[in-house]
Amino acid sequence: MSWLDSTVHRALVEAVLVGALGGVVGVFVIARRLPFFTMALTHATFPGIVVAALLGVNLYLGGGLFGLLVVAAVLAFGRGRGQDFTTATGIALSGGFALGVVLVSSQDGFTKDLAAYTVGDVLAVGTGDLVATTAVAAGVLLVLALVGKELLLAAFDPVGAAALGLPLVLLDFALLAVVEVTVVATVPALGTILAVALIVGPAATARLLTDRLAPLFPLAAGIGIACALAGVWVSTQWNVATGASIALFVGLVFGAVFLGTAVRDRARRAVAVRA
Amino acid sequence: MSERAPTLVLDRASVAYGDVPVLEELNGVVHEGEAVALIGPNGAGKSTFIKALLGLVPVVRGRIEVLGRPPAQARRDVAYVPQADTLDPDFPVSVEQVVMMGRYRRIGWLRRPSAGDRAEVADALERVGLAGRARDRFGTLSGGQRQRVLLARAIAAKPRMLLLDEPFNGVDAVSQHALLEAIGSLKAQGASVVVSTHDLAIAHLACDEVCLLNRHQFGFGPTGDVLTPERLRATYGGHALELRGDRVIVTQT
Ligand SMILES: Nc1ncnc2c1ncn2[C@@H]1O[C@H](COP(=O)(O)OP(=O)(O)OP(=O)(O)O)[C@@H](O)[C@H]1O
Ligand SMILES: [Mg+2]
Repeated sequence: MSWLDSTVHRALVEAVLVGALGGVVGVFVIARRLPFFTMALTHATFPGIVVAALLGVNLYLGGGLFGLLVVAAVLAFGRGRGQDFTTATGIALSGGFALGVVLVSSQDGFTKDLAAYTVGDVLAVGTGDLVATTAVAAGVLLVLALVGKELLLAAFDPVGAAALGLPLVLLDFALLAVVEVTVVATVPALGTILAVALIVGPAATARLLTDRLAPLFPLAAGIGIACALAGVWVSTQWNVATGASIALFVGLVFGAVFLGTAVRDRARRAVAVRA
Repeated sequence: MSERAPTLVLDRASVAYGDVPVLEELNGVVHEGEAVALIGPNGAGKSTFIKALLGLVPVVRGRIEVLGRPPAQARRDVAYVPQADTLDPDFPVSVEQVVMMGRYRRIGWLRRPSAGDRAEVADALERVGLAGRARDRFGTLSGGQRQRVLLARAIAAKPRMLLLDEPFNGVDAVSQHALLEAIGSLKAQGASVVVSTHDLAIAHLACDEVCLLNRHQFGFGPTGDVLTPERLRATYGGHALELRGDRVIVTQT
């Protein structure tokens, strides 16, 4: 009898992992202004899932591999347009999703499998999912630790980075691939539609709290973990959807911090005016 | 002057984005410790010229040599200063982190900045008069101060050639003075400087040579010889010019 045999224990571990992973990767997503890309990936990986279901292989492996294709397509179409992937991303989003729908409509009877994929269920994650999430988290953190400073420069000043001779396309691919594997790793817990919440929300909240880069990472990871754990707790207490509970907490925390910092700034300004 | 080594050689060079030639028939030589001003109207190709020196836009005909090498192979010793307002002011990065980016090339992949790198960063910030702002967020500084931070980033890279794209736009007198001082001290150390500007007074003040550009080269040589009303009028396509003392003003129409 291992500690991980309990559904709730596995859910808690998964929550901590995806919370931390989403928070840390989210800092780069926010800095590079990639929330739309992240959102699009969740939809564009859809055909990969459908094909995987047709072939009877692991759904997330299918989604992950297809997502890498999408990343390559976005890079190819978005190249030479500075740091704006928006147009290419929009095409990948609608094109990928449409392809998935066509594939699904040509088949009968996997709506059930796919429901879990779209909304996720952290209480259903198995040990295999945990191993996969751990591997992704370790890989992502390694990449960010190794080329974090180059990714930072490429995000802040792409022409300056190119002027230094840094391989921009490779760096862009590394960052988009990091976001992609993070999305795929977060999907079992939150589902495709809500995964973006845990990648964008905690980092955006942390950004409201600090202007400095170094504290952004632990802060975003902490907020991500706290929201994920709170979501799991609420859903086991009241038997409501876990992914949605986590996403709701992310939204609530962002809203509260937004209001809090707005009130604080207003008070500061008032003091400054009086002084 | 002439025993100084040439750092930039342009030999009938044409530069193009894809099939579209932007600059044609560039000729000229710049030596160690010299500064050249790139002057021309909007769309003349000044930014393209600078990107060609960085090897970011290809030379399709003729030859450009930077520090005796093809441009892309000289990047290690070339520093580029973009216009500050092209950078995202919301980016969560501090002034000293921006300046540290100038050291990345020397630090190399997979490694972290050393105490020596941090000392270079502090020294570069000192030289642009912003030592006290090191820990502030980049976006909280004024436009002119941000431009000085970007120059500090270039200084920290210890370049033998410095490329600046319109560094004086929207910059106040204090920042302009700080920028000119820092550029002057780099020149004194033997670096060559290429600076694009719309301000002819600055070309007179800071540059030994001028390159007049408008898709073609309308002149390249000592500032006093090249910055004549006739040549300027040719470069600017006949727009009116006023001469006031040692200042030449192009009145935009
Ligand atoms: N990436 C590009 N692809 C194709 N053409 C380009 C590109 N960038 C610039 N051009 C063209 O090259 C010409 C020169 O542009 P450039 O930006 O070098 O001018 P500039 O002298 O720097 O102008 P400004 O004073 O407005 O900064 C312009 O006609 C422009 O349309
Ligand atoms: Mg320009």
